Amino acid sequence: MPYTTLFRSEEVAAIQLYFPAEVARSTVSALGEIGCVQFRDLNADTSAFQRAFVKDVRRVEEIERQLRFFGKQIEQAQIPFKGIDYDSLSAQAPSIAEIDELADRARHYEARLNSLNESHETLQKRFVELIELRYVLRETDTFFHQAHAQSGEIRQSVDSDDGSNLLDSNADVEHSAAASRFPDSGSLAVMNIGFVAGVVPRARMAAMERILWRILRGNLYMNQVAIDEAINDPITNEPVDKNIFIIFAHGREILSKVRKISESLGATLYAVDEDSRQRQTQLAEVNSRIGDIMSVLHNTRQTAHSELSYLAQNLQAWMVSVRKERAIFQTMNLFSYDEHQHCLIAEGWCPRLDLDKVHRTLRDAAIHSNSSQSSIMNEIGTLKDPPTFNRTNKFTQAFQSIMDAYGIATYREVNPGLVAIVTFPFLFAIMFGDLGHGFFLFLAALYLVLNEKQLKRAKYGEIFDMAFYGRYIMLLMGIYSMYTGLIYNDIFSKSMNLFGSRWTFPEGSDAETLSGVQIGTYPIGLDPAWEEADNGLLFTNSLKMKLSVVIGVIHMTFSLCLSLVNYRFFRSRLDIVANFIPGMLFLCSIFVYLIVCILYKWSVDWSMTDAQPPSLLNMLIYMFLSPGTVDEPLYAGQAQIQIVLLLIALVCVPWMLLMKPLVLRREANKARAAGYEGIAVAEQHGRISTSANDHEEEGVGAIIAEEIHGEEDFDFGETMIHQIIHTIEFCLNCVSHTASYLRLWALSLAHNQLSKVLWDMTLSNAFGMSGAVGVIVLFMAFAMWLILTISVLVVMEGTSAMLHSLRLHWVEAASKHFQATGHAFTPFTFSAVIDDL
Amino acid sequence: MMSGFTIVIVFAAVVGLSIGCYLFSPKGDNQTVWRFTSILTLVSMYLMWMITYLAQLHPLVAPRKANESYGKSAF
Repeated sequence: MPYTTLFRSEEVAAIQLYFPAEVARSTVSALGEIGCVQFRDLNADTSAFQRAFVKDVRRVEEIERQLRFFGKQIEQAQIPFKGIDYDSLSAQAPSIAEIDELADRARHYEARLNSLNESHETLQKRFVELIELRYVLRETDTFFHQAHAQSGEIRQSVDSDDGSNLLDSNADVEHSAAASRFPDSGSLAVMNIGFVAGVVPRARMAAMERILWRILRGNLYMNQVAIDEAINDPITNEPVDKNIFIIFAHGREILSKVRKISESLGATLYAVDEDSRQRQTQLAEVNSRIGDIMSVLHNTRQTAHSELSYLAQNLQAWMVSVRKERAIFQTMNLFSYDEHQHCLIAEGWCPRLDLDKVHRTLRDAAIHSNSSQSSIMNEIGTLKDPPTFNRTNKFTQAFQSIMDAYGIATYREVNPGLVAIVTFPFLFAIMFGDLGHGFFLFLAALYLVLNEKQLKRAKYGEIFDMAFYGRYIMLLMGIYSMYTGLIYNDIFSKSMNLFGSRWTFPEGSDAETLSGVQIGTYPIGLDPAWEEADNGLLFTNSLKMKLSVVIGVIHMTFSLCLSLVNYRFFRSRLDIVANFIPGMLFLCSIFVYLIVCILYKWSVDWSMTDAQPPSLLNMLIYMFLSPGTVDEPLYAGQAQIQIVLLLIALVCVPWMLLMKPLVLRREANKARAAGYEGIAVAEQHGRISTSANDHEEEGVGAIIAEEIHGEEDFDFGETMIHQIIHTIEFCLNCVSHTASYLRLWALSLAHNQLSKVLWDMTLSNAFGMSGAVGVIVLFMAFAMWLILTISVLVVMEGTSAMLHSLRLHWVEAASKHFQATGHAFTPFTFSAVIDDL
Repeated sequence: MMSGFTIVIVFAAVVGLSIGCYLFSPKGDNQTVWRFTSILTLVSMYLMWMITYLAQLHPLVAPRKANESYGKSAF
């Protein structure tokens, strides 16, 4: 059986793998590269902390955290990453030595970057302080000049000197020192005036003034000036406006109060000397220190930048290695460890067609790691349901996923995704049918498909990703829409006359309205004469409604036949006789009869007969309301045939309702009478196979001791209820879903009318004007027409039609055959790791 | 002259084409996909064409439009 088929899911075998301890890691990584095996969790009852490889996982996660930290730093420094070369990603996972080296390097770089960042911060703070000090030194010059100039006006303190001795003696010292320095102008210290100088944020300036005024009761003199440029706050890195202030006050206590208050309001105080010469030397010193710090800062930044650039080169590749490593260890946590043979035992699922590939991979992994022992793979038998695996390629993947979104198919049942490849775009096209709009859709999809290699790695956002994922769906939708547009004869709301209209209108008539005379039938599609006809909608509505019902009933019948395929594959003859045949008879006797009548009525030339063409809707209604009497027969013998069909449909209902439960009950009774008990289906967490050495272990006992679910006996009540629901659903859904297919008509009518209205409102008006005004209006009208066509008619209507087509597949078609009780096959693979970047 | 027989002829042609697609679809993993896609496409396209054609064979209403030369007498 060399080829796979998408018609039903593949055969999946349950396998058991033995990995000798030393090759385990590299073998698991090789299995991750081929992505064919899904592993079962054999340690489900242990918590995450008790698993065997917890330490390794933690170590690898630590490295990942450090790499993420590097990534953020690199982003902040705005260094571009070197992208991964996807084609040359090594097939071999990194060896243990490489991971160790990576761990060391990551640690080393983390320490370096942290210390660099810290020193950068400290330097930055120092730098800001020096800048502020420089400003303070410059501005306080003016203050002091002013103060000295006015010092003559300030009165000497009249307090006698026999106050506190302490103050006086210190003041004496200051007086003499200050007096020696300021022989001519009075020094402030002589007058016992001290000052506090500093820098405060502008926002706090007013508050500080008010508070100081109140507390010191006005005994202060304050001067301030604003710094022009905003200074960067080193912590938040945001520019803050600051003011320089200097406060002159009497006495030490007042000055200390002033200091405390200003510091509490967020001011930074600087020691400034009164003497201008000292200030000059201070200024010179500050300038030189600023220069030094600037160069050190520059060096630090350069070093950090170069380290980050080196990291940026390799970061993506390291990230991939580390993530792969973590995935490997997390998978190895699912295995169980056999102490006697020092090997890891794994159980899982593998598609039968891939078993050879897995064999080869195991062998190659052993050869690569130069080990004498290679891993062993056994196939084991199991009662559990295998996962559903459909091998898709880039074309079929999107179609498969839209049906998988409804439910994963049961193991080996017919795959609705295969049928959806054509039916989904075609039902869309019936609702969208416009040659021009379909062409736009086709072009957009063609662009996506032709450029898929470049666009695959581009990140344009989630909506683009969705559109790109469905590019093949869009392509088919566009192609089919062009075909249905041809059949509906609708290109941007206009009809084409490709073959000559088959309706002639009489020439030279005096009548108010003209009626067409038919000559033949327009070969492909709708005759263009209907476009200008007043009663065009009358004809097209009838056509499209009947088209919808015919296509709908055929789609439902086809889906019902898929259920027959399923029943035959699973060899359940009872289902065929009890479910399929009554269902099919019911559907056919009413609805297939209806579409046969529709087709028959169309094929009769009613103008040649005397009979009135009967209304099919009334025919169907009266078939049920008054069986046996037909007022306007469509064909001879209609009444009798309709009674027969009605009887068949009526018989099918109790047939479908009762046969299966009763037969199952009879068989269960027979089995019980013969002494057989029902088979218990065990829900097993641990290994479902045992080895010879397991006698002493709890392995054997565990299988029996674990929970045993499952029905032992046949429950008639439950089966009966299930069948009642199935019967009611089936019969009611036949009617309701047939009506539901009328949305094919409704949406195509809406689309047609919307595009007609758009044309009439824009271009039709513009064509009616002439002259220069007409040219300008035409230009603008065309722009509006094109934008509205693409945004409303293609995108919006397209999305709406897509949703309706999807609903038709999920509800109307799937309810006829789709069991959807499976679970998906999720192999252990590294592709998710790579795509995640 | 087009008539009801056109439908039967085209039906035969579609059946023939479907058999051809079934037999000559490219072998390999995707043979089922090729077969299903081509045959379903042919069937759907035929159905849609056939219904439209059949509806216009003997239509019950004729197109009616306003007479543009109503009220204008011929010279």
